[in-house]
This record gives sequence, structure tokens and C-alpha cells, in this order.
Amino acid sequence: MKTYGTEPGIPSPARVGISEITVSEGDDTLTSYGLGSCLAIALYDPETEIGGLAHAMLPDGDAAENSDRKPGKYANTAIRALLRRMVENGASYTSVEAKIAGGSDMFEFDSFGDGVGQRNVVAAKDELERLGVPLVAEDVGGETGRTVEFTPGTGALVVRSANESGETRKYD
Amino acid sequence: MKLDVNALGTFYRMAREGAGLAAGRLTHMTDVETQVGVTKLNFMRGSEICQAFDDSTEKVGIRVDLDGAIEGYSVIVFEREAALRIVDTIVSEPETAAFDEMTRSAVTEVGHIMNSGFVDGWADVLESVIDVSTPELVIDESADQFFNDVDETAGPGQENDLALLFQSRIETVDTEVGFSHYLFPTHRSMSALLDRLRTSDGIAYDKLEGFDRMAERGAKEIATTATTLTGIETSVEIRRLNFVSLEAIPQSVPDEQLVGVAFEFDGVPSGYLVFLFDERSARKIVDAMVPTVADGVDGDPGEFDEMETSAITELGNIMASGFLDGWANVLDTTIDHSTPEFIHDIGAAAVDPVVVQLGSQQEFAFVFDTIITADGRDIDCEVYAIPNEADLERALNDLDVDRVEEEPTTAEFQEVDNA
Repeated sequence: MKTYGTEPGIPSPARVGISEITVSEGDDTLTSYGLGSCLAIALYDPETEIGGLAHAMLPDGDAAENSDRKPGKYANTAIRALLRRMVENGASYTSVEAKIAGGSDMFEFDSFGDGVGQRNVVAAKDELERLGVPLVAEDVGGETGRTVEFTPGTGALVVRSANESGETRKYD
Repeated sequence: MKLDVNALGTFYRMAREGAGLAAGRLTHMTDVETQVGVTKLNFMRGSEICQAFDDSTEKVGIRVDLDGAIEGYSVIVFEREAALRIVDTIVSEPETAAFDEMTRSAVTEVGHIMNSGFVDGWADVLESVIDVSTPELVIDESADQFFNDVDETAGPGQENDLALLFQSRIETVDTEVGFSHYLFPTHRSMSALLDRLRTSDGIAYDKLEGFDRMAERGAKEIATTATTLTGIETSVEIRRLNFVSLEAIPQSVPDEQLVGVAFEFDGVPSGYLVFLFDERSARKIVDAMVPTVADGVDGDPGEFDEMETSAITELGNIMASGFLDGWANVLDTTIDHSTPEFIHDIGAAAVDPVVVQLGSQQEFAFVFDTIITADGRDIDCEVYAIPNEADLERALNDLDVDRVEEEPTTAEFQEVDNA
């Protein structure tokens, strides 16, 4: 959901919808609701307190025609686009760290093969490794949905299970 | 008139672009931050549009007629209170409570600027000029005043034709003010545009109509099944055929805990079928189907034990068979569905795996979106049938439209004996 508002500050908490990427800083909260097999990728630079959240839907954008137009749709292109935007905003590439959440597989349909959520997780990890960005926390897989809240300033990622347990986990 | 996914995709992008421009202008004018919600291309019948619109709240609409690259009309609709709040932000007058002359003119101005935003978005993508008439202010509860008296649209003027309708939602950040935008192009104008934008032979529009009528049968079948199994009178409240980007599907599901039953189906077409109930509705259904479980005995109403889960799953299974059998009969084919998957999770998470799976092959989807309700019992069930795009095109091309009429109609739900 693109927000039209006063620049440069974005409203808090900003909602990051599917295939979207939002870069922010400080205490702004970035939220993605109801992730099932989609993957939330949070990158942040603890020194400059600049960070961003992507809500990726598919693993690999390199073969897709529209990944230039929608880099946030694919885990690998989303990571590259997030990183680029953060660096443009003053983040230092070498100090950026990553946290990921989501990638559940709640349905065991034949057409889903080895799991659509799992493929997103693998793609994100591969891309982070390729770019040398350390993955410092992950809350992935399983069979339940998640809602995530990310604060770039502190790098804190709060993950709430969306199932009956309603459990909340915080990754500082 | 023939359409294809590419042309519809362009339409969809135009609608998004228009919504973005309109939201930006609203922000500029009022200093209120805005965001664009879900944008949809709907194929709906006039009577259904009116039904979906008539929620007995008073609304304020600003309507303009369009000419040029697109002919038809464009309407911005605010709920009355939302209109007044927006006026408050631009008129220094404190606490506007009624529609006096000043308010009327301010709201007309806001609506007109937003209509122009939408139209400019379209014109940009089409690289053509669209002329906009002077705005007309409409204040009413029912759809008639907003949508009628317009000649020759493929719109709700003609009760039973399938109308192409563009709907977008713009919301303000931090406040509960939202607007809807409706654009009804004329049949002629759409036909010309589709011819220009199409990149394949396309699907004849009457095939889509046939398919929609078939889906209507499926929806009625679901209501009948639900009535039979639960003993609660249910009916199809809203039914529409949407063309949306895949991302918009989870976004249109409410952000709350939902109970659902999901299936994959295989045949021509193949795809996914998901039934979603809010927790309260699921609870009522369980109570109706499993009478031995008294209210409150098993603690948290938001928790479903094994017996309750299996009752809902079974209901879903029978509804799915009814729905898909309806499709298969008309298409003269076989459509098999998988065993049901029960889900109790936050809304979007229940549909995003399906969207993720389809996303590797397609960018947009036709969604058969149905809401089943039980009169006076607060039971809602949302049904999402999302066919695989390639198969759907094939199924549509194979569809014998006359056959839709010939196939026996299933029993009307009113006729079902609940005893």
C-alpha cells in the first residue's frame, strides 16, 4: 500500500503490503500483517539507524520480466533493492544486518511441491549470503501465519503468531 | 467485445495509477496523509452493484461524465461523515454538521479534483485525452441516484448485463476516512480500448458472462448446502467476478482471526478454492452442526477442538463439491478437488500461500468472490475461487454459452426443506 503524505517522514506505523519495500529510520514502525508463505525481510544498519522492510511473495526475480518494476515481489531482488535504497539514504553496506520472518507452509497441496514458503526462505538466505549480509535472526517455516513489526532504529523485530496461541516473540 | 489478460492488466495499472494521482491530490489539498487501498476490476451485474452499494448509510457522490479516450462516468463516493470531515480540513468553519451551501461546494470541489486525478491517471497510461464534464453532487442512500440515468454504459442501467466496473479505495492514514471510486465505461468505449490493447485472440465477452452465470449457480449451490447442513437459512449476498493483481487478494481479506477451509482443484480449470468464516460465524456454524456442544462448555470461543474442526471441514468439503460440480456440469468436464485443509489463522495468511503458488505463473487473477450470509444470524462466509489463468482461458474458450442456459438450475435455497 503506497502512502501519499508529507515527505520525508513516513507515518508511523507504516504498513508494508505484499511486494512492497519501505525504507525508514529511527523509531518509525514498519508492519506487515498476516504473512503466510510470504517472507518479511528486515535489513538495518545499527550505526546509522536506517533500515527497511520488504514483504516478498516469490523467491527469484532474476528470471521474471517485471522484477525491475516490482523488485519487492521477489526475495532476492527485494533484498538488493532494500540494500540499495538504504545505502542511498546513508546506511553503510558493511554494517547492515538482516532478520527474516514468515515462509510458512500451511497447506499440503500436491501443486505446492516441497512448499512455497520454504522456497522463499531458501532464496532469501542464498541472496543474503551472496551479498555478505549476516542473518542475525530468523522466525520462519511452520504452519502458522505471522504479523511482524520492525523498528529500524533499534533493529527490533517483533513477530506475532497469528494462530490460536497468539504468541509474540521479539528479536532485538 | 473481446478481452484478454494483457488488456485487463493494462486497465488494472491505469486504475492503480489513477488512484495514486487522486490520493496525492487529496493529500496536497487537505494535508491529510492518504494511502491507496485495494483496486479492483469487477465484472458485476447491475442488480448486484446496487445491492453491494445499498448499505443504508447516507453517501455523498460527485459524478462526472467522461468523453474522449474513455466514455462513461466516474463517481467518487464518500460516506456522509467522511465527506464532512474532509470538508472540515479545508474549510475554516468549525464543526460542520450539515450540508450547507459552503459544504456542498467544498465537497464537490474535493470530489472533482479526485475524479480528475483518476481520469488523468488513465489518460497518462493511454496517452490520450479524456474530457471531464462539470461535476454533479449526489446525496442519497441508495445506488439509484448515483448510478442510474446514464445511457449506454455497460453499467447498472441494464440490470442483467455484466458490467465492467473499476473500483478503488483511498484511505486516510490515522483516521477512519475512506472513499470509493467507481468508473463505469460504456460498452462501446471499452470494446474499442480492448481491441487496441489486446495482444492475443482473446476471450469473447459473452463467454465470460456465461462463466459468471455458471459461478452464480455454484454460489447458490454453496448456500443450499450450508442451509441443508446447518439448518440455518443462508443466501448469496454479494457475488462478483474480480480481476485483480495477485497482491490485492490477501489485502482484501480482513485483518482478523479467520477460520477457513481450503482446496486445490484439478481439471480445466484448475485452481484453488477457499472458504473463510470469521470466528463468530464459525462458532455459530459449529453450534448448529454439533448440537451436543453447548456454548461455553469448551472454554474460549476462539478455539476449535477436533470435533468442531472436523464439522467445519466437512461443511467446507460438501460446499466445495457442490460449487465445483456446478462448474464441471456446464463445462462438461470433470473437476476434482483435494482433501480439505482446515486453517485458523489471521485472514491474509490463509490466502497468501495460494497467491504465492500462482504468482510464479501469473501476475493477475480472476477471483470469483462470493459472500454467503444467514439472515439475522450474523453468519458470513467469504468464498474465493481462484482459477489458474491459463486453464481458465482454455475453459472459457471451450465454454458453450448456450449450455449454461440449458443445464438444469439447482434447487433454489428457499425450496430446501430444512425439517
